Order: sequence, then C-alpha cells, then structure tokens
Amino acid sequence: MSILEVSGLKKVYSTRFGGNKVEALKNVNFSVEHGEYVAIMGESGSGKTTLLNMIAALDKPTNGSIVLDGRDLAKIKESAAASFRRDNLGFVFQEFNLLDTFTLEDNIYLPLVLAGKSHKEMNDRLMPIASRLGISQLLKKYPYEVSGGQKQRAAVARAMITNPKLILADEPTGALDSRATDELLKLFAEVNKLGQTILMVTHSVKAASAANRVLFIKDGEVFHQIYRGESTNEQLYQKISDTLTLLATGGMKK
Amino acid sequence: MRIGFYPKLAADGIRKNRRMFTPFILTCTGMVMMFYIIMYLAVSDILNPLIGAYTLQSIFALGSWVIAIFAAIFLFYTNSFLIRHRKKEFGLYNILGMGKRNIARILFWEMLIIALVSVALGLAAGITFSKFAELGMANVMRVNVTYDLSIAPLAVKRSLETFGVIFLLLLLNSIRQVRFSSAVSLLQSENTGEKPPKGNWALGILGVALLAVAYYLAVTIENPIKALLIFFVAVIMVIIGTYLVMISGSVLFCRLLQKKKSYYYKPNHFVSVSSMVYRMKRNGAGLASICVLATMVLVTMASTGCLYFGEESMINLRYPRDINLEFRFKDISDFSDKHIETLKSGVFDELETRGVTPKNEYFYRSANLYGFVKGSTVEVDAAKISETDAMSSYLFYFVPLADYNAVMGTNETLGDGEALLYSYRTDYNSDTVSFNNGESFKIKKKIDAFTSNGDSAMDILSSIMLVVPDLENSIKGIDTIANFNGDRLLQMKWICNFDTGTTPKQQVALYHDLTTAFKDSSSKEKLGYSSVYTSSQEFERQDFYALFGSLFYLGIVLSLVFIIAAVLIIYYKQISEGYEDQARFEIMQKVGMTKREIRKSINSQLLTVFFLPLILAVMHLVFAFPIVRQLLLAFNLNDVPLFAATTIISIAVFALFYTIVYRLTSNAYYNIVSGAREDR
Repeated sequence: MSILEVSGLKKVYSTRFGGNKVEALKNVNFSVEHGEYVAIMGESGSGKTTLLNMIAALDKPTNGSIVLDGRDLAKIKESAAASFRRDNLGFVFQEFNLLDTFTLEDNIYLPLVLAGKSHKEMNDRLMPIASRLGISQLLKKYPYEVSGGQKQRAAVARAMITNPKLILADEPTGALDSRATDELLKLFAEVNKLGQTILMVTHSVKAASAANRVLFIKDGEVFHQIYRGESTNEQLYQKISDTLTLLATGGMKK
Repeated sequence: MRIGFYPKLAADGIRKNRRMFTPFILTCTGMVMMFYIIMYLAVSDILNPLIGAYTLQSIFALGSWVIAIFAAIFLFYTNSFLIRHRKKEFGLYNILGMGKRNIARILFWEMLIIALVSVALGLAAGITFSKFAELGMANVMRVNVTYDLSIAPLAVKRSLETFGVIFLLLLLNSIRQVRFSSAVSLLQSENTGEKPPKGNWALGILGVALLAVAYYLAVTIENPIKALLIFFVAVIMVIIGTYLVMISGSVLFCRLLQKKKSYYYKPNHFVSVSSMVYRMKRNGAGLASICVLATMVLVTMASTGCLYFGEESMINLRYPRDINLEFRFKDISDFSDKHIETLKSGVFDELETRGVTPKNEYFYRSANLYGFVKGSTVEVDAAKISETDAMSSYLFYFVPLADYNAVMGTNETLGDGEALLYSYRTDYNSDTVSFNNGESFKIKKKIDAFTSNGDSAMDILSSIMLVVPDLENSIKGIDTIANFNGDRLLQMKWICNFDTGTTPKQQVALYHDLTTAFKDSSSKEKLGYSSVYTSSQEFERQDFYALFGSLFYLGIVLSLVFIIAAVLIIYYKQISEGYEDQARFEIMQKVGMTKREIRKSINSQLLTVFFLPLILAVMHLVFAFPIVRQLLLAFNLNDVPLFAATTIISIAVFALFYTIVYRLTSNAYYNIVSGAREDR
C-alpha cells in the first residue's frame, strides 16, 4: 500500500513582478510504499527542495496531486496545514532548526505540546526514543551546549516522537562531519527497519547510498531510479556514482 | 577619502540596521525630551506665578536627576540589545582584518551620529512641547504670554551635558564588549544565544532591601518639603530596587513556572515561558522601566487630580459661607456678651441697608494660641519650643459653651474647670489639658464635630478646640502670657459667617462693600473691634481655580511626558523582541505551530508579564501615599477619601491605556514573527 502518491506534479514560479516564469517541476510521478526508505537526488536547482516543500504542505503545486495516506494535500486549508504537518509528518533539517530557548528535551516535546499532550505521555514516549538515539544524558542541555551530531539526533527525536506517517529529511547530513554523518545514517537505517517510512532529499552520494531506493530528479522530472535490491551500501554507492556521472555527461534516458 | 571612511561606515551600519536603530533612536529622543521638559520646568520662570513655585522648582530640579539616572539605566538596557545584534558584523570586520581599534572608531562614529540625531530631535520635541505646555498654562491661569518660542538655555546646556555623559558611557560599554571577545565568539554570538540567566538571589535580596529602606523612608518622612533630599534618595533607591527585583525576581518567577510541569507543558505557556526565561534579564529591565514610569504617572495624576477635584471642598473648608467676617479684639473685656450683641446688631444693620438677609448664619467667639503638647501639659512659651518640636505643636482655640451650643444646636453643660475637647487631624488622649503657666481643664467629653473653621483648615498644624464654660474667666490666666516682644499670644476674635442667597456677582460686590465699610475706623470705634478680616467664597474661588487648574494642567503635561516614554519602551520591547523571535517562530511554524497558536502564545506571554509592572507600581504608590498626603496637606487639602478615589481612578485609567498600547504593539510583534516567511 502506498503511503505517498505523487502524480503529474507541476510547479511554476513567477518572479515577483510576474515577468519570467520558472518551471521548477515539470511532471513528477512517484509513490512511496509504507516502510520504505527513499532518497531523492539531484543537482542544485533541480527542484528537490520545491518537491519537499510541497510534500510538507508548505507550498501548493501548480498542477497535479500529492496524496498522503489517502488525503489530498491540495485540499488541506492553509489554516489546517500546520496541524496536519504536526500530526502526520516529521522533519529533519540540514541546519537542525532547534530552538535555542529550549533544552533538548523541550525541543523534542514541542510538537507534542502543541498537540496538547500531557507531560506524562510525552515523557513516556521520549524515554525509549532518547535511549535509542543515545541522547538520554543530554536532555537537560541547551542546543548551544552540544555538538552538531548531537543536535541532529535531537532533531531526529523531535521528528519521530509524534509517530509520523512519514519523516521528511532535507539534506540531514549537510551540516555534519563524516563521523556524525555515519552515525545519523546508521540511525535512519535502524529507524527504518522498525517500520518508519523516510523520504530524504540529498545531494550526498553517501547519504543516498544508505536508502533502499534512490530517485534522480533532473529538469523537473524523475529521471531515473535505482533499487537497492541485494546490494550493500558500497555497491549502491557505486551505482549512484555511475548514474550521476551519466546524468552529468548528459547520458540517455534508460 | 581616509577621513570620511569611518563616519561613512558607521552611517552605513546604521542605515542597514535601521529596523534596530530606529526604535533605539526614538527611545533616546524620548528620554532627551523628558529630561529637557523637567529641566525646563525647574529653571524657567514659567512656574513663577504659582504659589509654592520655589518648592515646585526644587522638586523638578531633583526630579531631573531621577530622570537622568532612569534614562542611563534604560539606555544601557536598550543598547545592550543593539550591541548583541551587531557583534556578528563586527566579528566579520575583525576577521576581514580590521583591528579592535578600528572597530572602536566605527562604534565611536555610530554613537556620535545616534547622539547627535536623538539629542537634536529630543531637544526640538522638548522645546515644542514645553512651548505648547506654556501656552496652555497661560490659558489656564489667564496670564499673557509672548508667542515667540522660548528656550531655556540652561535646560539645553544641562540636557547636552547629561546625555553627553550617558552616551559616552554607552560607547565605553560597547567598546569594552567588543574588546574582550574574540573574532570567532563575536561571529557566533548571535546564534549561540545568551545563557539563560540563573535566578540571582543576591541581587534580588539587595533589590528587596533597597525597596524596604526606601519604603521605610517614605513612610517615616514627616515633612517632605523639609526632607526633600531624603525623599529623592528614596525615589532613586526605589528605581534601582525595582530594576534589581524585576530582573532577578522575574527570572526566579519564570523558573518556578517552568518547574510546574502541568503549567509549563501547555501549548499556550510552553513557548512564552521558555522565551521569557531566555531573555528575562532584558525583559526584566524593560518591565522595571515601565513600572517606574507607571509609578511616576500615577503619583502625578493622583495628586494633581486630587488637588483639582478637591478644590471645591477646600474652598468650603477654608471659606465656609458666602461671606465670612472675622472681627478681632485687643482686650478680653471687649469679649463680653454685651459687646458682642452690639457688634452683631451693627453687622446686621449694615446688611439690612444693602438689602441682604443672612442665611445659614453662625457666630462664635474664639480665642486662639499655639502650643506644644507634652503628655497632658501644653507649652505655650515660644522661646521654649525648639525647631524640631514646631511640627508637633498644635493650634488651640477656646470657644465659650454658649456659643458652641448655639452653633451646634446642642444642650451641653459644663462645671467649673471642665471643658469639651474637639481635635482636628489629630488625637488627644489625655483626660486633662494643663497649660504650663495658666489654667488646667478636665476633659468632660470629647466631641467629634464642629462647624468648619477656616483657621484649622488653613493651618498646616493640627488643632484642638476646647469648649469652656465662660471665656472671660477660663482664659484669664492665659491671656496675660506674652511673647518676648510683649505681644499677647492669645488672639481673640468673633467669627460671623453667613450665606446671602444672591448671585456670585452680587456676592463679590457685597464683599467689597462690607470690606470698605468695616475697615472704616469710625465703624471700629462704634462697634468696638480692633481689626477685621473679610472673605468671600466666590471671590476666592477665582484664585483657587487659577492655582489648582494650572497645577492640574502641569500634572497632565508631566503624565503625558511619562506616558510617551512608557509607550516608547513598550514599543521598543515588542519590536526588538519580535525581530529576535522571528527565526524561532519560523522554525515553530515548520514544526507545526499554527498562526492561531502563535497568537495564543503571545497573549499568554502578555498576560503573564502584563500585570507585573502595574502591580509593583501600585505597591510603590501605596507606600508613596503618606508622602503625597503630606504634600497635599501643604496645599490645605486633607481629603483622604478623595485622594484614594483619584488614585484608584488614575490606576484604572492608566491600566486601560496600558492595555490598549500593549494590544497595539503586540500586534506589531505578531506581524513581525508570523510574517517571517513573506518578509523574505
């Protein structure tokens, strides 16, 4: 059963004075099955972030539809969009987006507090997640007191604590060093094994090679996709590299 | 090119950060304006026509110090915010190869530009405002004023000096902050955020102690006019104490809220409480400034309002009837019933020839003297009364029983050596009253009312009335006491007050007629009195209105100035916090906070901190009550219920106004934080 269905997605931006029109996405079709771990790759300006924003209901498509767990995002009102995001989606951002006024614990609680959950329930949910992510000892610290990798783990905890249908990750390794990157990718793989659906946008081959399926976007369309199949991370890494080389040299569509 | 480089860089910096600098410059302008106006009132001759102008001017002169200290504290607070915001820029300059010395030069030019602009604007605003105030004042007092712009050069000079020093201190503080941080820490300073301050018990306790001492001084000052300096020390202590208590107290308060999980983890409180804790230091300073200004507004409004609305009762107290006559006598023998009857019929004849029938009339004889009470003994020898005792001395007056019964319609009786006692604005607790070189009286009964008495009302001292069986016999012993000039201490008079039932104009005409008639020496001889004092309620009313109208007006002008400053602070607080919170709310919207929840959390923050300054201001006001009451007493106003009423009304009006301003500015805040995305 697909949890996310994207079909015929088109997005045209007009410049401020309505002069030039820029087609960010032309015609994007793909679906994500429940429990999948999908990476979306593409060069800068290929429309990755536009796509993610629309899946997150932060932006409206010009044409086409996005159906998340049977609900058409286009039909969600602006006012309801925020609570929809809160209840159905978890976000992991490149720059962490933790609030420096909160401790890590309170940062993780934020979506639950907004949803009006009791402190006991929040605490019950947090404890297993925190110990799995290895941040139990850091919960009382403030973001500026911990390292980047630790911040990102707290951000992952915040994304997971609502039991979202889908975790959206936007360049999650972009601001991390290689060791922290490895840890985070391992974490994503583990979470995914537990049944969490993840959709990750990245231009890091290494990050993408941790996913089970990789979609390539070029010129506003899904250009190609690779399934992991039985490959190891290293083999997948190789495949992705080859594909990217092909894309860069303007190879033919398969 | 080289000469202009730093000024140009500084001007650019200000222009590029104008959304930060504009509120700051506005605040500085407001402070300069406030200072200039207070200083102007202190040194110009605008107040000269007023009674007590000298006292008022010294109040304003000391008040200008209070404003200067307040401005310094507040500008430090606003500037610290500005510096924090600019550190990143300076860090970048530093990394790009600019030394700390060069940065200090930029800071210097920046501060110079800000100082020039805000002092110029502030002085211009202050001069305009004070001119309008002067015109209004002249209107109230019906005095002619020239319409050319009047400037008090001394006030301008003082403003320049004061703010020169303040801006210099601000500059030094900024340089110090940049100097002691490395380029990297400068770069990151805005993102790492300041550490949430720990609740500082020591500062909090110091603040509470300062407030306690100041309150103690306020309650124990007997005569604020004499102890003006102590009074202002108390005011300054209150200001500093308020800052300390607000800064550390509010951190502790929010920490407590945070500990209470059932309160903290609610959508409305979560965001607001945490961000309050985060910036409590500065938030506390802002709240304290609002509190101080609120106190100033409330004290001014309540006291001048009380004077204005109490003037009718003051007139009635001081001049009980339409026409009030007071005949004085030299000799106690002139005080006999027979003499008084002659005088009374003489007065009535005068009235009859002018076609006036007295109404509500009453008459009584009274013999007055001043004395200092020690236990149950009264010291009347002025030579033995020291300066410090002077304030605890009383006005004594003796009234014969017959006159008392006639005025009050009572039927009291007294034996020899007995007296009835009525105390005004005081309590007399002993059973006997002994004059140290005269008579002694046993108090038969204490009475709680007598007809209004102009002398008691006017006198700043409390008074004690003794109703004695027979004036002539009772005070014979006292009558002989003379002061060292050989003048008699005892003042003997016959009071004759009545209403006329005629128009105000006729009353004033009658007053002038009677004054001429009774001052005539043939009349004196015929009726047997030595001098006469006449007064007319209507005639005096005009003077009262001029005096208290202008005082009330002055109060409104001052309140307005303080309110403008308070509005600037609230505006500054909301705008600066808004820009600071913008990124935070953007993240929260991404995580799933709706605009409605943003609104709610702003309202929650507003409700939590909104009442703090008001509550503390009201507390200050309660402790200032005795002092202000003493000041009002100096104006013959002793109407505590009226003062309480004007106080409560002032609080209500200010609270309403405060709410409106907070609402409006919180909208500005909301637009900044919620419109974060569209802003780009």
